[in-house]
Amino acid sequence: MFRFNIDFDFPVPIYRQVIQALRLEIISGRLKNGDQLPPIRELAKILKLNPNTVAKAYYTLEEEGFIESKRGSGNWVNYKNAKLDSLRKAMIEDEIRSFLERAFSLGATIEDVKNFIERYSKK
Amino acid sequence: MSQNIIEVKSLKVKVGKKKILDNTQIQFHKGESVVIAGRNGSGKSTFLRCLANVILPDQGQIIYGEGVSKGKIGFISDKLSLFENYSVKQGIDFHATVFDIKGFDYTLINELKLNLNQKIKNLSAGERTLYHLSLILAQKPEILLIDEIIHTIDPYLREKFLEAVIDLIDCCQTTVIMVNHTFSEIEKIPERVLVMEKGQFILDEKCENLGEKIKRVESPVEIPEEIPCIFKRELPFYKEYFVYPFEEELRKKFAYEYKELNLNEIVKAFVGGQYVKERIH
Repeated sequence: MFRFNIDFDFPVPIYRQVIQALRLEIISGRLKNGDQLPPIRELAKILKLNPNTVAKAYYTLEEEGFIESKRGSGNWVNYKNAKLDSLRKAMIEDEIRSFLERAFSLGATIEDVKNFIERYSKK
Repeated sequence: MSQNIIEVKSLKVKVGKKKILDNTQIQFHKGESVVIAGRNGSGKSTFLRCLANVILPDQGQIIYGEGVSKGKIGFISDKLSLFENYSVKQGIDFHATVFDIKGFDYTLINELKLNLNQKIKNLSAGERTLYHLSLILAQKPEILLIDEIIHTIDPYLREKFLEAVIDLIDCCQTTVIMVNHTFSEIEKIPERVLVMEKGQFILDEKCENLGEKIKRVESPVEIPEEIPCIFKRELPFYKEYFVYPFEEELRKKFAYEYKELNLNEIVKAFVGGQYVKERIH
């Protein structure tokens, strides 16, 4: 578990990167409802981060309704399916938007993109 | 978080006629991790030494928060003498007696497979640092000061060093203040960045906000003067401008592509800006 990389060259704040990585773990199903997250100190040591940064990421995920922190026993994955679906949609939309931006910047038209999609979805 | 653990008031240090620290003011909060960057000779190591009580300032005051006694401030530097003729064991015993430490934690020492009978002066740079760190950790410091040590030690020991510091921050809410030129491994630890120049802080920002406040613009021609620029670099095909403080308004007024930077580039821009200004004056 937790093979994700925190990329410091990437200008997104580190705690945001941790949140994003944990959301991906949840969406992909590698982290399931009821799974326990590593203690803050352990995740900080694995990723070589400030424990305050990890704590901030856990806290935000709790606010967003993806994890639950239980006093004295740590942090647990706990989300409602509707919540996960709306996050999944938002993340897919982000991916497609940036994919289209790159394609357009290379000079592709929307027709080109449609043709490619058709061709690749047949395979 | 908002509780001040160190308050520095108009600190002045002179060496000969040269002002090293010139009216330096700053506060540090309990539990935060701060990195101080700056070019060579900007005064950052002197500043750290003042915080460590290793040198006394000519003027000014350093006020420590509640519960911070001399024994609760740890200072790691490769320039310190550590009772060189003692063996590792003698050094630890002596330290434990002076600071009344019961049950010294040998974890780090054992992980390094240090021979306890070896003399301190015969340890490698990395072994010295971790030996010193384990002495300091035993005191559960409120403040840990790290002077430019991280790149004198090998990658494996660096990892051990970082893990020990992470443990310390987590268990004791220790305030960590470090001085560094290169960011490499430590770059994910600090939450706040200070840049020092001529004994004063010219930048004081939280890491997570820095990306929003400084941007890079590439342009073949000069950019308008209304865009605040701290550092300009002339490259063969274009000029590079570092914009600070950046505001969203600028996007509307001047249609450039404002590129984001990482911490290392940001610090380089600030340090570089100081060099260039120096040459102009």
